[in-house]
Amino acid sequence: MSSTSQKHRDFVAEPMGEKGVMALAGIGEVLGKRLEEKGFDKAYVVLGQFLVLKKDEELFRDWLKDTCGANSKQQGDCYGCLKEWCDAFL
Amino acid sequence: MSSLSSKSAQEISALLDEYGIKHGPVVDSTRSLYEKKLKEAMSKGKKAKQSPDKTYYREEEEEVTYVYRTPVRSDGAGDRQSYSSYSRPKPEYRGRDYAEEPYMYDTPSTYSRNSTLKSTPMKSGQDTATAPQSSRLIPLWVQFVFFLAVAVFLYIVFSSMETNESLKGLE
Repeated sequence: MSSTSQKHRDFVAEPMGEKGVMALAGIGEVLGKRLEEKGFDKAYVVLGQFLVLKKDEELFRDWLKDTCGANSKQQGDCYGCLKEWCDAFL
Repeated sequence: MSSLSSKSAQEISALLDEYGIKHGPVVDSTRSLYEKKLKEAMSKGKKAKQSPDKTYYREEEEEVTYVYRTPVRSDGAGDRQSYSSYSRPKPEYRGRDYAEEPYMYDTPSTYSRNSTLKSTPMKSGQDTATAPQSSRLIPLWVQFVFFLAVAVFLYIVFSSMETNESLKGLE
């Protein structure tokens, strides 16, 4: 439990619905803005990208880094968050 | 190589498979990522393309490099046509044929088979560097160990002869 943030636990606890992209773990204001500019304005759009990349960790991390400049920790947090959400709800 | 962005999604997908890159569908949002991955793979020169042909060719290369050794030892580049009895060469003997007499007859046979492949002269020192280890009859290190054992044995024999009668018996 100590390895996941509160944000992560909040996100994974329920269907994401219309939550914004900043609700994702690892995605704060700066990264969120960059993602929105690229068209990823909702969490489910990032989820869509995650699924199109076949839920592969390396691919998703690379994509996130290229798209919004996330560092390694942020990439890992976001990936873990989405993965766990998929395990629970998909 | 044509620009990656002009290729179709299927071509990108095929290229990713060739380089062994795990990937999903090539859609608008994933395309730039995959193009970037392909560029990296190409610049690194990953040898994932058409491996069956390459291995065959490399085997040929081993035979070919064997050719370059013999001109140093003997003369001419096409004289030994009469020794063609071996169908499969043994490139591992390339370094050993000088020291181990019994294996010498192999060198011309393989040589003659390859003289038709490539006749362009290259340095003889290259064969030891270019020909990689191939699983032939006897591995290279076994020959090396055998050679060392023979050398040690001869040394022991020689030294034991010395201690009996100080060099008198040798003459």
